[in-house]
Amino acid sequence: MSIRLDPDVLPNLLVALQQANQNETTASQQVATGRGVNQLSDNPAAEAELVANANQSSEDDQYLQNAGTLQAKFQVADSTLDDVVTALTRAISIGTEGANGTLNAGDRQAIASEVQGLITQTLGLANTTYQGTYIFAGTAVNTQPFVQNATTGAVTYAGNNGTTSVELSNGNSIGANLPGSQLFQNAAGSAFQSLQDLNTALLSGNESSIGTAVVEVQSALTQVSTNQVFYGNALNQISSTDSFLNQDQLNLSSQENTLVGIDPATAASNFSESQTAQQSLLDATAKVLGLPNLFNYLAP
Amino acid sequence: MGGLSAALNISVGALQVDENALATSSNNVANVDTPGYSRQVANLVETAPITLGNITFGTGVGLQSVTSTRDSILDLRVNQETQQQGQLDAFIGAGQQIQSLFDQTSGAGLQGPLTAFFNSLSQLSANPSDTNTRQAVLTAAQNLATAFNQSSVNLSTLQGSTDQSVTQTVGQINTLTAQIAAVNTQISGTTGAGQNPGPLVDQRQLLINQLSNLVDVSEINAGNNSLTLTTSSGAPLVVGGQSFALSTQVNAATGQQDVFSQGTDITTKITSGQLAGQIQIRDQEIPALQNSLDTLAFNFANAVNTQNEAGFDLNGNAGGAIFVPPTAQASAAAGLTVAITNPALIAASQDGTTGDNANANALLALQNTNIVSGQTPLNYYSGIVFKIGNDVSSAQTSEQTGSAVLQQIQNLQGGVSGVSVNEEAANLIRFQSAYEASAEVSNAVNTLLQDTIGILGAA
Repeated sequence: MSIRLDPDVLPNLLVALQQANQNETTASQQVATGRGVNQLSDNPAAEAELVANANQSSEDDQYLQNAGTLQAKFQVADSTLDDVVTALTRAISIGTEGANGTLNAGDRQAIASEVQGLITQTLGLANTTYQGTYIFAGTAVNTQPFVQNATTGAVTYAGNNGTTSVELSNGNSIGANLPGSQLFQNAAGSAFQSLQDLNTALLSGNESSIGTAVVEVQSALTQVSTNQVFYGNALNQISSTDSFLNQDQLNLSSQENTLVGIDPATAASNFSESQTAQQSLLDATAKVLGLPNLFNYLAP
Repeated sequence: MGGLSAALNISVGALQVDENALATSSNNVANVDTPGYSRQVANLVETAPITLGNITFGTGVGLQSVTSTRDSILDLRVNQETQQQGQLDAFIGAGQQIQSLFDQTSGAGLQGPLTAFFNSLSQLSANPSDTNTRQAVLTAAQNLATAFNQSSVNLSTLQGSTDQSVTQTVGQINTLTAQIAAVNTQISGTTGAGQNPGPLVDQRQLLINQLSNLVDVSEINAGNNSLTLTTSSGAPLVVGGQSFALSTQVNAATGQQDVFSQGTDITTKITSGQLAGQIQIRDQEIPALQNSLDTLAFNFANAVNTQNEAGFDLNGNAGGAIFVPPTAQASAAAGLTVAITNPALIAASQDGTTGDNANANALLALQNTNIVSGQTPLNYYSGIVFKIGNDVSSAQTSEQTGSAVLQQIQNLQGGVSGVSVNEEAANLIRFQSAYEASAEVSNAVNTLLQDTIGILGAA
């Protein structure tokens, strides 16, 4: 005698139908969300990696934003220094003219007063603010860094020598400022002192003093130009970091897709497969349940 | 004794037996969809023969008994698997609610607020003296604290509702054990009178199966078809006609309901069934998670506070705590609060100058520092996410395997006990034909008797 099978096929069919229904729900969820992983238990490892992925992507956003902030500030600093260079170049040019022996005292006085104007202009430039803070004051950003003595005309530095650095990307920091003392009161060439000396020499009319002062201004100019490179380099670094961060975000997004995403074609095919499976199961169920039994054949 | 009257007795006896056999088939057909019903078989036997002289005559057919067809081993296996499934289903049900609180793909959980807090410090580093940027740090700290609070509260709420489920399940267990005890008593009664206890056993098996879904049940046959049921650790549930109710009582230490049997706390000894799954969620899964969140909140808040205290605020004063320092690790997540409202108090500076950002950088560096159990805050959190998902996923895998096994055993059980309509139809035809044949025999004997009486009358 063969083994007696369970005559009631309905429970098995119902389980199969339930499973098919669940598969269809999962497949439709995948199509709707574009993700193959829709809850932690679908793929715990991928979800855990996604935590780091989302964090990095969001950090990159912040880095890009910081880069934007720094870029704007550096551009202001850079163009300010351009103006300083122009002023110092003008001082050298008119200073050299003032050293010419053919000039009279009146001419030199006129030049001296232009130098005075250049001092005032440079002072303004050295005290440039960006978003309410002084950009050449070291870390004493709320203190006006360069102050001119009303009587002697001498300019003193009230800022400090503090520097800051800001992270541009993971583990990659960039200097965020140059103290004004380094730019305008460098031991190797002080812009304010040299202009002041030039002014004094012009007023004194001593040609050799004027010549010496012009050389001083040239040294000061060299210092400003040399240090200005800092901003140029920083802007370049920001721009290349920007490209890196944008690329990193693309990589992260592609990694996210690998972790929890699903290829639309696969999702669509899963969905249609699950529908077909469910449809054929429904057909089968209807047929099995509609099968006649022996009672149907008994004479009435 | 042979003869016509013997033949008549045999055919009349056969008519009765066939009627009863038809009734049995009819009962089977009637109960084809009744849960727990085992098909019944009418057991026909030859009645005792009679010997006259050298000749032995049959005396017809008798109905020895009507028995229910069941395999107690399969019943037992079904109950065992049902216990496992009950536990896993309860665990998965609550586990899915837990995991949705930390679902990274839908943006739930702590990663967002945690990253946002460090990003606000990154922004502060680029613009350390700006009040709006400082305010953003405070807002991010506030959001993070709220996220910690909310996660912890959500877990506590879930724990509370699971605790209620435990009490409800215990109530259901008590109802079932009382019913089983009552059926046990009835079964002992029928067995004594030599009747078929089948339908009552069906009923009891159905009740035990329902009980198995709720708690681990160990069956001991107490003889006389009576059963003793205990939990697998030996706590009595039903002994013969008596049921032993489980009770719940608040545990002062945890605030949760402990399960007691006869004055003994058996909470930790319940190994399967829904009750075990609920207790597992309530007493292990959720507390472990809370503990992880507390560890994260406690170490994070302390590290941030310590670093902020190492710097100087916008006014040049030494920094203070950003978060109210947690008094203990326990409940640190639920109690995490921001201590300051003045954005100037964030200590971005290391040397006291307003434009310095060295301490903001140091605060930011905590993001990549192993400050929580030897891990960075985010890695630690990502470990939590993995654990929740993995616990649910493992339970789901076991549930699927178990479900296939259960279905298989149920198929086997159905093979033994299930009613086949075709089989019953065949039996009906068979008994109907037999009945008709016996009726014809009676008719023939009757005719013969009439003939005999007629002959005698004519003589």
